[in-house]
Amino acid sequence: MKRYVMRWEVLLLAILVVELLIFGMINPRFLRPSSLLFGTSDFVQVGIVAVPLTLVIIAGGIDVSFASTVGLAAIAFGIANFFGLPLPLSLLVGFATGALAGVLNATIIRLTRLQPLVVTLGSLYMFSGAATVLSGVVGANGYEGIGGFPAGFTALGYAQVMGLPMPLFVFLCFAAVLLVLLHLTRFGRLVFQIGLNENAARHSGMPVFRVQLMTYVLTGLAAALAGIMLSAYFGSARVDLGSATLLPAITAAVLGGASIYGGKGSVLGTVIATFIIGYLQQGLQMSGVPSQISSALSGALLVLVVALRHGAALLREFLPERAAQAN
Amino acid sequence: MLERIARDRVATLFLVTVAVLSLVGLAAPGFLSAGTATIIWSNGLVLMLVALGIFPVILTRNIDVSGGSILGLSAVVLGLALNDGFALPLALGFALGAGIFAGVVNGLLVAGLGVPSIVATLGTLGLFRGVMLITTGGEWIEELPEALKSLGAKSFGGLSIMGIITALVIVAVWWFLRSRRGRWVMVTGDNREAARHLGLPVRRIELLAFTWAGAMYALAGITFAAQIGFVPNQAGNGIELRAIAALVLGGISLLGGVGSVGGVVIGVIFFTSIDTSLVFLKIPAYWNDLIGGAMLLGVLLIDGRLRIALEARDRAARYRRGSQAEQKSRPLEDAA
Repeated sequence: MKRYVMRWEVLLLAILVVELLIFGMINPRFLRPSSLLFGTSDFVQVGIVAVPLTLVIIAGGIDVSFASTVGLAAIAFGIANFFGLPLPLSLLVGFATGALAGVLNATIIRLTRLQPLVVTLGSLYMFSGAATVLSGVVGANGYEGIGGFPAGFTALGYAQVMGLPMPLFVFLCFAAVLLVLLHLTRFGRLVFQIGLNENAARHSGMPVFRVQLMTYVLTGLAAALAGIMLSAYFGSARVDLGSATLLPAITAAVLGGASIYGGKGSVLGTVIATFIIGYLQQGLQMSGVPSQISSALSGALLVLVVALRHGAALLREFLPERAAQAN
Repeated sequence: MLERIARDRVATLFLVTVAVLSLVGLAAPGFLSAGTATIIWSNGLVLMLVALGIFPVILTRNIDVSGGSILGLSAVVLGLALNDGFALPLALGFALGAGIFAGVVNGLLVAGLGVPSIVATLGTLGLFRGVMLITTGGEWIEELPEALKSLGAKSFGGLSIMGIITALVIVAVWWFLRSRRGRWVMVTGDNREAARHLGLPVRRIELLAFTWAGAMYALAGITFAAQIGFVPNQAGNGIELRAIAALVLGGISLLGGVGSVGGVVIGVIFFTSIDTSLVFLKIPAYWNDLIGGAMLLGVLLIDGRLRIALEARDRAARYRRGSQAEQKSRPLEDAA
């Protein structure tokens, strides 16, 4: 029993419930099912990239380039559509761009043995630069982006599946797939193993590079998914679609329990953390708090939660000593 | 030759910068002049100060990504103090104080509570930006007094006062890292546990590194406000990533303990010269990120492969020496 209750995810869920109750008390309209459900369309893209990012972090890496990959894949998709490719082919172009971005990241990291943060920082610039240059090719200006999608596609952004808004449905399905992949398969065990000790994993013959490559490719694909979904939602593909997801996505992964040193983390935690962060911003906006303050509060939330976790760990190391002295 | 390139990143990058600048000079006559040099220097000032701030933090094997927000925060403190009628020296003091305070917050989180620095500073990146926006109410600060702008204007030999201060800071950091206590910073980053067992005040060193970073971001904020004469909401947004990229280019290892001031300076100048060259070549500004990012990745790729090749060669040489020594010693053993 204790094994199921004393978990980080349970604490996160409690934080989420308390948060919803507080905002509900401030503004009862916040708790209406329709606003809770359809409000998610504004932040699920954060979760879509945060979940595979969790896998990357667990495997001991980090990826910051996804923020540009979102825009790059959206632009690639938009350009393919602009030149008259049929919708499925355009989608394929978008996803292929995302996957390629992941392959590029993983390959350079492997070839140079450099820290992933350094490499993906470089690709963060390169991808956003490439997206800007590409969007210049078709003469789209930065703010309007590339539009002119078929009506059936933009309708997808607002469609409903089983009473759920499309973006939320896509996010939950995607998270479920990754949950199974990470926690119930051989591949998932490899991800944890490599994050705990990469050298030990390599010496025991595990396919370290292939697994890491997979995590980066998954992040790239997720970024493409987010980019295409946002293009449908906004009706145009823009370079800066993903720039606002960089910090919240990393925050969600870390808040969800992923250790930046690798080997620790869970998909469920990241999913709950995504909702905590998303509803925090929305709740603050509905309570009449300016958006500037909500960005400060989500930063403070990250600092506070992580400080608490580390403070608690420090305290635990401390307490047995005290008890021993008392005896 | 290859060995030199891999061993001495500063010299290589210097040569590459010179080569790039001369190529641009060929394509755009009139580019190579003392005027351009001072333009590059003053364009790179803010980035240089931010990079100088992150530098010791990275040397201790931590990282600080909150630089852009602290820059903005101290620029706002400066602007608000000036527009409220405080004297310039007092307002500058307030701005520095704000930067140092923010740096101490980072330092306490990392050195005190043991939060991983990337997580802690990502949090404060949002936090300080929010605090900055709350103090301004989301409005830009305009009509800064002329006295402040004169700090960023050219005065002595084409350099501004802030430009001279930055040069002094560079010399100071160079001097400090050569000193006994300066080596402590390197030792902490190279092997934290060993440094602790040697009796170095590891936590205090980390705290001081973050505090120094805060002070440098404040100087960068002052320079920013002085150069453009107003403080927009997004002041300093994303500059921390540019600074880290410049540091990496200059051969500062994110694994701590390795790097030189020369690397910081040349890394920043390389980045700034590319931006400035693009302007001279009349290439639209939207190419900046693509070219900068591709160059960064290219340098990393070549450098990483060279380093791996050199290490393999060194190891092979060691093995050869080892086996030769073994063969020589064997007859002696037999004789005995």
